[in-house]
Amino acid sequence: MFHAYVENPENLRFEGQSPDEKILLLLRAHPITNIPWIFFSLVFFLVPFFVPRLAAFFGFSLNLIPDTYLLAFLIINYLISLAIAFEGFLYWYFNVTLITAQKIIDIDFEPVLYKGVDLAPLPKIEETDSKTAGIFGTFFNFGNVSVQTAGATVAIEMKNVPKPAIVADLILDWAGVAHQHMRGI
Amino acid sequence: MPEVTQSLAAKIITSNYFLVIIKAAILLILVFYAIFALIIIKQVSSMAKTFVTTISPIFASVAVINAIFALILIVLAVAVL
Repeated sequence: MFHAYVENPENLRFEGQSPDEKILLLLRAHPITNIPWIFFSLVFFLVPFFVPRLAAFFGFSLNLIPDTYLLAFLIINYLISLAIAFEGFLYWYFNVTLITAQKIIDIDFEPVLYKGVDLAPLPKIEETDSKTAGIFGTFFNFGNVSVQTAGATVAIEMKNVPKPAIVADLILDWAGVAHQHMRGI
Repeated sequence: MPEVTQSLAAKIITSNYFLVIIKAAILLILVFYAIFALIIIKQVSSMAKTFVTTISPIFASVAVINAIFALILIVLAVAVL
């Protein structure tokens, strides 16, 4: 359910899916890419634990502020922490690439209220390439996979997906099979 | 010197004007958060329609609960602060 690389996933579908269209592969960004929002959310979560000490360090007592106002600040702080975590998780969970026997569907959501869906028919795919870069990318085996279609009308880029070399290879294999099916071989 | 600073800070913080400004700031933040929470409902709904999984309805419920909570907080802040 929360994996970044799932072959033959079940119990999920996408908008516009044909009844006989089977999803072969589900891809998300590698979970390690969630560290930035987890970090910021944790920082906000921990702020109330450090503020009294910081105030005391500067010779300021929080007792001067009415309790109701302190409580309001505390609630706002946790709301921000929660919002960062919820948004971060949503964007990770719903920004997916699905590969079916007929096409590749790349679903992109960006703040605020941006939705982009790129479709590339498998038989039209001519080239795929994968790139792994950086310490994290090399260590955790994730990177970008680009897909070029005939006429270069659509180019799909999957960012930070796990096992990029395998994904690029699988797509090309499935594209070959789809191309043969199309030609009736 | 720190005692003077502390005393000045105490005077400013306990003054009515300062508390009114803080109350306005808190309300403004809560209103912005409520707007943000309402946008999240629309966003989650769009996400859940595009990519349907077994747990999509849970996200939609969390977004709605979050927005209700944000609206209740505004009412509470107006009443209590």
